[in-house]
Amino acid sequence: MPRIRTLLALATALAALAGCGVGGGSGDAAKQTVATDSPLKGEITFQTWSLKNDKFTPYFTALIKDFENQHPGTTVNWADQPGDGYADKVTSQVTGGSLPDVVNLPPDIAHGVAKAGGLLDLGRNVPTLNQDYVGSGLKAYTYPDLGSATYGLPWYLGTDVSFWNKAMMQRDGLDPSKPPRTFGELVAAAKVMHDRSGGKDYLMSRPPGLSDIVNSGTRLMTPDGKKFTFNTDGAAAMLDEYTAAYKAGYLPSNVLTSTYEGNSALFVKQQVAWTTAGGNYIQSVQQSDPSLAPQIVPSPALDTAPLYVQGVSVAARSKNLPLALAFAQFVTDNANQVAFIKLAPGYLPGTAAAASDPAYSKSDGTAQGDAAVYAYQDMQKAVNFTPPQWTDAMNTALNQQIALAMTGKESSRQALENAVDQADRLLAQ
Amino acid sequence: MRSHRPYTPWLLTAPALLWLAVFSLWPALNTSVLSFTNVHTLSGGSFIGLRNYSLMWQDPHLRDAILNTLVFMAVCVPLLTILPLLLALLVQRTLPFMGFFRTVFYFPVIASAVVVAMIWQWLLDDRGLVNGLARQAGLIHSALPFLTDRWLLLFSAIALTVWKGLGYYMVLYLSALGNVRRELHEAAAVDGAGAVRRFRSVTVPGVRGTMALVAMLVAVNAMRVFAELYVLGGRTGGIGGQDVSLVMLIQQAASGADGRLGYASALSVLLFLLTVGPLLLLARWNRRED
Repeated sequence: MPRIRTLLALATALAALAGCGVGGGSGDAAKQTVATDSPLKGEITFQTWSLKNDKFTPYFTALIKDFENQHPGTTVNWADQPGDGYADKVTSQVTGGSLPDVVNLPPDIAHGVAKAGGLLDLGRNVPTLNQDYVGSGLKAYTYPDLGSATYGLPWYLGTDVSFWNKAMMQRDGLDPSKPPRTFGELVAAAKVMHDRSGGKDYLMSRPPGLSDIVNSGTRLMTPDGKKFTFNTDGAAAMLDEYTAAYKAGYLPSNVLTSTYEGNSALFVKQQVAWTTAGGNYIQSVQQSDPSLAPQIVPSPALDTAPLYVQGVSVAARSKNLPLALAFAQFVTDNANQVAFIKLAPGYLPGTAAAASDPAYSKSDGTAQGDAAVYAYQDMQKAVNFTPPQWTDAMNTALNQQIALAMTGKESSRQALENAVDQADRLLAQ
Repeated sequence: MRSHRPYTPWLLTAPALLWLAVFSLWPALNTSVLSFTNVHTLSGGSFIGLRNYSLMWQDPHLRDAILNTLVFMAVCVPLLTILPLLLALLVQRTLPFMGFFRTVFYFPVIASAVVVAMIWQWLLDDRGLVNGLARQAGLIHSALPFLTDRWLLLFSAIALTVWKGLGYYMVLYLSALGNVRRELHEAAAVDGAGAVRRFRSVTVPGVRGTMALVAMLVAVNAMRVFAELYVLGGRTGGIGGQDVSLVMLIQQAASGADGRLGYASALSVLLFLLTVGPLLLLARWNRRED
């Protein structure tokens, strides 16, 4: 009996180890030149990310039908993945060898897949790449650690616009027609709102992150992308300001804990008067909360706006590369991108011909129209803050150190030093 | 009775052995092998010797994770070994509504760990019920930082685990108590033994085997604590990651498209070794008592 118990104990512990076990995966870089002179035929799969809905389904159905009509004998199967867990889904597709032929990937996910050799170098296969697509979009899919290859065709570009709750601002003595334009003005306005509302209303409601560090004038990495460099005086001063604001009660007390619901949820609950979102935010709030939408006033993003890029990539192991490449170019050509963006005001096409079209700079006079114009204007100088080397683990390390600084357990400078050390260590792994 | 077919026991145990081999032994061996490689979710896989194990000691959160996990186990094992036994003794009696109480005590077991942790999260928040009641009663002036103080968060997670586990282990004890002969209690009572003495000299020896089993199960589960700390402390593991457990570190290392699977495997091997130690000690202690 005692021996059986010992065995039982060992078996249980073994099960624990097995429960913690992980699978493996590997991939080789695949660079090849696709023969584009042969007639297109056969079948491919095209995967989008959370775009199968009442708004976009008719567009994609017509787009695919149009392509198939232009190329008789071809079939494009459309698959759409839900919004949550897309990176995990793509990861499992890569490790399982089932990545769709043409796939919508943001630059950070594309980086991991490209590193594993899963994506086709489009620079080598699309001769007019630099003339057809916007430079900022192409740059997002060209990774310093992977050479000069480009792994995605820019599809649509987005940025953050600031949105303010007019009623809350008026109630607390702030002028919604003159919202803060810089981080410094934001903190000053947050103090006014806090003092006037007796600490019940908030303007600021998120801890700082990578974008705030960049906006402090800090360079995140060395030019060769081998070391992080955000432990600067400017970043420490920015973190000090956040810490002071948090201690003064200008941010919700739970902003660093697990009960924090997030800035956008608090904005929808009208507990917070400022949020940032894509240029079509008012349009989506109109559908989800029609009573809130008229209260929302847009303004340009604080300081430098972030650039968000979505692109279309081609799987290097596609069994029908000519068709996949042709379809990826078809989806992202100027006419189709312009038609697509008409359904999503506030975003811009990723083609050079359309991105600077002045038509996007004209508002229809509505708050949503103004937001779309701000998005267009901001996108001309927006910056992609997140380097492709930046991982979830690095982000966790940064958030941990920021929380230590904001609760006074570490100085801002030390917290940033620690975050840089940890990020460098993770980069080296 | 002698068996003339020596393969019969193997035949009967084959399904279980196959299951064990495929779903426990093979993944465990694979994890051990991966721990010597630099495999990432989508790349790598080269042999790097003991590099993952040496990297571990540079991990600023490993020491906290080991300490938190060991404290979690050290507190949970005695509490979840003794309290369910006392609870079982209470509900063992045949009194009116006892079935109701048994059900109530068992109820947290069937609730999802995540849902329960979220309820506790709201109870323990700065503006939650616990702080609100304490403030109204004049016991505190400012909120107790259950979710931001390192040790308060850890002990809140322990309290949650104990509360949730009581019912399950109570049922195990109820079954064991049914096997303790009533005559022994009666004889001890006739000899003048009080309730405490009867508990020490009759009940405990009668359920010692179950106590050892419960202690082992609690120890293993405590070493693998994840959901309670993850939900209460958030994905970063509390402020500054001071409340991470070993399993949370493994999860953080292995998740995402850039997951460091080799490193996570090395952490898994460490967790295995740390789990086996206390288990062998418990098994040895129980063998000596037998």
